[in-house]
Amino acid sequence: MTPHRTRTTFAILGLCLALILAACGIGPEDSAGPSPADPGDSGATDTAAPSESAVGGGEPEDELNFANWPLYIDQDDDGNSPTIQQFEESTGVDVTYTEAIEDNSSFFGTVQPALAAGQDTGYDIIVMTDWMIGNMARLGYLEPLDLARDVPNFLDNADQVYLERSYDPDNKYSVPWQSGITGIAYNPALVDEEITSMAQLLDPELIEKYCGQIGMFVEMRDSMSFAMLYNGVTPADATIEDAEAAQQVLLDQAPCVRDYYGNEYAQALADGSLAITMAWSGDVFQLQFDNPDLQFVVPEEGAILWTDNMAIPKGAQHPNAALAMMDYVYDPEVAAQVAEYVNYIAAVPGAKEIILQHAADAESDEDREYLETVANSPLVFPTQEMLDNLYSYKVLDEDEERQWNEMFQEVVQG
Amino acid sequence: MADWLRRHRGLVPYLFLVPGGLWLILFFVVPLITTASVALQEGSLGTGYRLTFNFDVFPDAITRWNVQLVRSLEYGLIVTALTMLIGYPMAYTIAFRGGRYKNILLLLVIMPFFTSFIIRTISWKFILADQGFVLGTLKDIGVLDQSFRLLATPAAVISGITYNFLPFVVLPLYVALERIDPRVVEAAADLYASRFQAFIRVTLPLSISGVFAASLLSFIPAVGDYLNAELLGSRNETMIGNVIQRLYLVNNDYPQASALSLILMIGILVSVFVYRRVLRGQELTV
Repeated sequence: MTPHRTRTTFAILGLCLALILAACGIGPEDSAGPSPADPGDSGATDTAAPSESAVGGGEPEDELNFANWPLYIDQDDDGNSPTIQQFEESTGVDVTYTEAIEDNSSFFGTVQPALAAGQDTGYDIIVMTDWMIGNMARLGYLEPLDLARDVPNFLDNADQVYLERSYDPDNKYSVPWQSGITGIAYNPALVDEEITSMAQLLDPELIEKYCGQIGMFVEMRDSMSFAMLYNGVTPADATIEDAEAAQQVLLDQAPCVRDYYGNEYAQALADGSLAITMAWSGDVFQLQFDNPDLQFVVPEEGAILWTDNMAIPKGAQHPNAALAMMDYVYDPEVAAQVAEYVNYIAAVPGAKEIILQHAADAESDEDREYLETVANSPLVFPTQEMLDNLYSYKVLDEDEERQWNEMFQEVVQG
Repeated sequence: MADWLRRHRGLVPYLFLVPGGLWLILFFVVPLITTASVALQEGSLGTGYRLTFNFDVFPDAITRWNVQLVRSLEYGLIVTALTMLIGYPMAYTIAFRGGRYKNILLLLVIMPFFTSFIIRTISWKFILADQGFVLGTLKDIGVLDQSFRLLATPAAVISGITYNFLPFVVLPLYVALERIDPRVVEAAADLYASRFQAFIRVTLPLSISGVFAASLLSFIPAVGDYLNAELLGSRNETMIGNVIQRLYLVNNDYPQASALSLILMIGILVSVFVYRRVLRGQELTV
């Protein structure tokens, strides 16, 4: 292409760009015309929601599309989930189970356009962490549930702590899938002291000798909440000043942090790259089979109890099948089956007895030992003492979320 | 139709451009316009975005992320220099000394593509782990200090990018060098040029189009790369690609992410034009 023609082409392109820019809006609701009620205006949908009637109350549909996180359900050697198969057999519902969720925010980013446009997302059950349930409920993106009518197993079998949850009062939109603890893990081969406090992870002087072997989480809420607990602040009550103080703690710690990790911290802990790190309880439980020395602690200042919850996105095509599934997994037998595999905290305390029963019936010593370890592990069935020292994330409004995100991005990316 | 074509023979070349043109419009122009439009909007994912022609987003983004922008350009330049230093001798050897092994050697160059580059980069994490096979052994025999590490350092990130883009540099260099008639080099020798002079005054200028193409093929993706910094680096090696990725996918801050993407693109375009200017004295067939 000659330079002259290139220039003409660019000029034409530029003109088109200018014209189209003005006409073409992106996103859920853009500039075109007076905008409808602003759902982000917090409270607007909260007041609208109670008048909505709950979904369900009918026979399960033929299909169910279930989106969950990777490795979050039982799996046999062929890669099938017995839990899902038994549900299909007993109800006749054809379940499409996908491990579509890697991260709350990016998954929300993919379903948000459909939800904002009032369209079906293609999913009937999604599993989102507590704070995201709070956000989605506030935006009116979740179907309200009638637990007494459709999910009686939840009311009968769930642990008491799951009946009052700050992010979803009265269980209007969600029921827990699994919970877990964000605590501290360390490798005694590299650490010659006992880790009992947040200071041993966050205080620049105390971590000096482990510089470059400290791991933190790239998940903003986990890391910010840790720094708040260290500062003596209850994360759920944190103000913007508390967040700024937490950011300062993390910035002071940053020079000695090896990296801010997602799921891959587990590999770094296992291969000896990390001495002390933030960690999720279920991961450490599994790593301990390879390296029994690895320790998981709830520091004396407290740690985070998070919950991933099942919810039905607005406009879902198969709400009755979704409710049937929710009820089904609250059957203690099923809850035990899932807990034996995923090793996070089951919302059904009755599952413990059943796992012990399975252990007693186990055919091989190996299986029996494994099941007994699961049932007796405080990481799967935490003690009351542990539970008393666990805190929830704060449910942030949009402004707070933006501010906290900006503060935390400075921590992880400079 | 045939009649019509015969009468408008001049149009035929343009008809051939239609499929490629449509492809570009659909997958390049439209996304580009979308990106530009999103950059100028304000709002949030929850409340929706409004086009407010907020041009401040550009200076704001540059001020906020100048460290990462500069670092990315820096890494891109270092990587381009390294790939060139490693790639040129490789391509030269294959083209002039490869003989009957040429095809096998070329196959070896593209062999890494048989595995996904994500997998290959992750394997570096295992190979270079602090207590892993290489470093663990060297530490145990006392060659390296216990606290020494390669991962999470600029060296790891730059080596990772260099490793990943090396084949993209070797191939165009090879094509350019392969085209050179060995007899012109012989002619230079006949005219009393030393081997070095013959290389500088004959071979290198004749391969300059390959050098141009190869350096673009490493510089452009290297500057925008985020995977190597993500997997092999840490906070202090954050590149602009990582910032954009986090703004898009974690913070859901689409306007700032779009603005940064455009800034990155314009930055690369400008550097390419400057680079082209610099090389213009040479016989450029690109």
